[in-house]
Amino acid sequence: MSASDANSAKTQTTSGGIGIANLPNQLHKIVTKKGTNLSIMVVGESGTGKTTFINTLLTTELIEPLEDAARRKKQMDKTVDINIHKAELEEKMFNVKLNVVDTPGFGDYVNNNDCWLPVVDFIENQYEQYLRQEQQPVRKGVVDMRVHACLYFIRPNGHTLKPLDVRAMKAIGARVNLIPVIAKADTLSPTALRQFKKRVMDVIDAQSIRIYQPPVESDDEAMTVRNKDIISAVPFAIIGSTQEVKTADGRHVKGRQYPWGVAEVENDQHCDFKKLRSLLIRTHMLDLISTTEEVHYDKYRTTQMKTRKFGEPKPRKVDNKKFREEEEMLRKRFTEKVKLEENRFRQWEQKLIAERDRLNKDLEQEHNLVKQLESEIEAISNVNSPNGKFFRK
Amino acid sequence: MAPSAPSINSTMSSRMATPRPSSYRYKSEKRGMTYNIMLVGQSGLGRRTFLNTLCEREVISPPEAPNPETANIADPMRFDTYEVNIEEEGTRISMTVIDTPGFGDGLDNTECFKQLQDYIEAQFDEVLVEESRIKRNRRYRDHRIHTLIYFITPTGHSLRELDIELIKRLGEYVNIIPVIGRADSLTVEELATFKQNVMRDIDYYKLPLYNFCWDESDSEALKENREIMDYTPFSVVTCDEVLDNEFGAVRVRRYPWGSIEIDDEGQCDFALLRYILLNSHIADLINYTEDVLYENYRTKKLEVGGFGEGEGEGEEENDEDDEVLGAKNE
Repeated sequence: MSASDANSAKTQTTSGGIGIANLPNQLHKIVTKKGTNLSIMVVGESGTGKTTFINTLLTTELIEPLEDAARRKKQMDKTVDINIHKAELEEKMFNVKLNVVDTPGFGDYVNNNDCWLPVVDFIENQYEQYLRQEQQPVRKGVVDMRVHACLYFIRPNGHTLKPLDVRAMKAIGARVNLIPVIAKADTLSPTALRQFKKRVMDVIDAQSIRIYQPPVESDDEAMTVRNKDIISAVPFAIIGSTQEVKTADGRHVKGRQYPWGVAEVENDQHCDFKKLRSLLIRTHMLDLISTTEEVHYDKYRTTQMKTRKFGEPKPRKVDNKKFREEEEMLRKRFTEKVKLEENRFRQWEQKLIAERDRLNKDLEQEHNLVKQLESEIEAISNVNSPNGKFFRK
Repeated sequence: MAPSAPSINSTMSSRMATPRPSSYRYKSEKRGMTYNIMLVGQSGLGRRTFLNTLCEREVISPPEAPNPETANIADPMRFDTYEVNIEEEGTRISMTVIDTPGFGDGLDNTECFKQLQDYIEAQFDEVLVEESRIKRNRRYRDHRIHTLIYFITPTGHSLRELDIELIKRLGEYVNIIPVIGRADSLTVEELATFKQNVMRDIDYYKLPLYNFCWDESDSEALKENREIMDYTPFSVVTCDEVLDNEFGAVRVRRYPWGSIEIDDEGQCDFALLRYILLNSHIADLINYTEDVLYENYRTKKLEVGGFGEGEGEGEEENDEDDEVLGAKNE
């Protein structure tokens, strides 16, 4: 086809149809067979209901609660862990490989400075892994663990965001789709909840924290209305429960049973769980995945490509301060131990040398004695037989 | 354990505090018992509303709206003092409450413990100086902290490092009573499990809480005290509004799915805690602070010989003085 033809291509709608409209169906079949990958991260202090939320969302106990011994170990160890839980979900022949990333230890200690760094590092490492795999000669079987959505659980203290929340959300929101969530919302009265939501959004605006903005406009009018509804509920107030309880009017629902009533999970008057579930899975899952790939990953890739040549490994960042201190301590202990051992060996060597000298002296003495005896014998034998013959008794 | 113990209240009313036969105490009875409480806990756990509910009126007004521009900077911890006069079953109590907003709200909270400890020790030092003045002040007001109410975050799991560190460091200077703030976020089973886990942590780390059973002489009181200890940590829910129904005014907290009655012992331990703080154990708490905690501090301080640095009237800082003091106070 010549260049002029390409430039003057006209759009033609064929009346009978040649079958181009069948492409989406083919695509549908391919996508259905391939399945997809979804990674969700949950970040927040312990006891905010992250585990319960995930289990409620997936209607299955993906993450098990910690055993006593494990919990006690974690209480004072002052580190943030990254735990990955994998699951394969199947619904109507469509497969989803789900990764849930949990961050126990975040914000749980007396000193929480920089506790978001392991989280941020993890997110960037996934981008890095994907980047490297893309650059390999053989690109089949790429493992894609890039985080598509990060839920940040805010503890409802009724006032506003804590400085820890502000700093952590700023760092995380710049790199991944950040969705703020108000945890354990059944502890705030409706007016307090409204006020808290407004204050949180004020802080997010004032501090320029970037959160996930789902697209509002769509071709379907009903969709647009629903989207607007969802967006107005940010940050989402969540109640999580995997238990079925009976309400006062006899219904069986998922909820939390208090002596004074039942807080229902799927009741829009009580909490925003349904809206968040819709956002994460039913309506906006594709958008989450594509914004991750097209916006966040692309940003990372661009910045890395500008400074690194193709195929070059990433320069190692300055290590975490805590690790550096530990490293220093270990090194010091090691050199001390080595010095101790060297001293011990030196002393041992000296002892051995002294011993050897002593033994050598003894040996010399013996030698001298032997020589003496020998000369005596010669002297005697010369005296006794002047002609050299022995006189045998 | 089911949270319902109506029997405790009736037997406790017979154990009202009777003042010891010391002139200091009788005189202060007229003025009202001096009682100092400190409230410690992270923001959002209900310290302010707890005090308002305790005194049945608004002692601390709601804080002004926070400035979003400075939300990334933590406010340093401060000590706010409030004076409240309460009349509880005929006894007048002149209560001073010290609130500590800013505790545990920053990124790095290691300094908070030292600040609290310094504050409490400063009150002890003041008394130490006052005791050994040549001419004592008759109208001297005792500011020693008699009770520290510590608000635990209702995570539903167990204690956190902040809780453990605080009780460990301050338990030898002040009576600590642990309280679960915002306990309405836990269901009945979750609350029971949480209380169990917290008490197990307290045993494991050997945390020095106020021991209700410290006075073993009165066996009947000891039995009651053991029952009370089963309720620690006390679950607290605070009042939003007062409703009028056929039984009179009821203090409640309302949700779309129901209302909590604050004073109902089946729903939370607030009523029990109030009774302990202002009624049955107020004398015990004050006595323990004066007879044990303060005396321990005093002994330690005088042994080290650090005493004498306060602004006493013409007191010289030398060893001779300490020996004299030691002899006089024996």
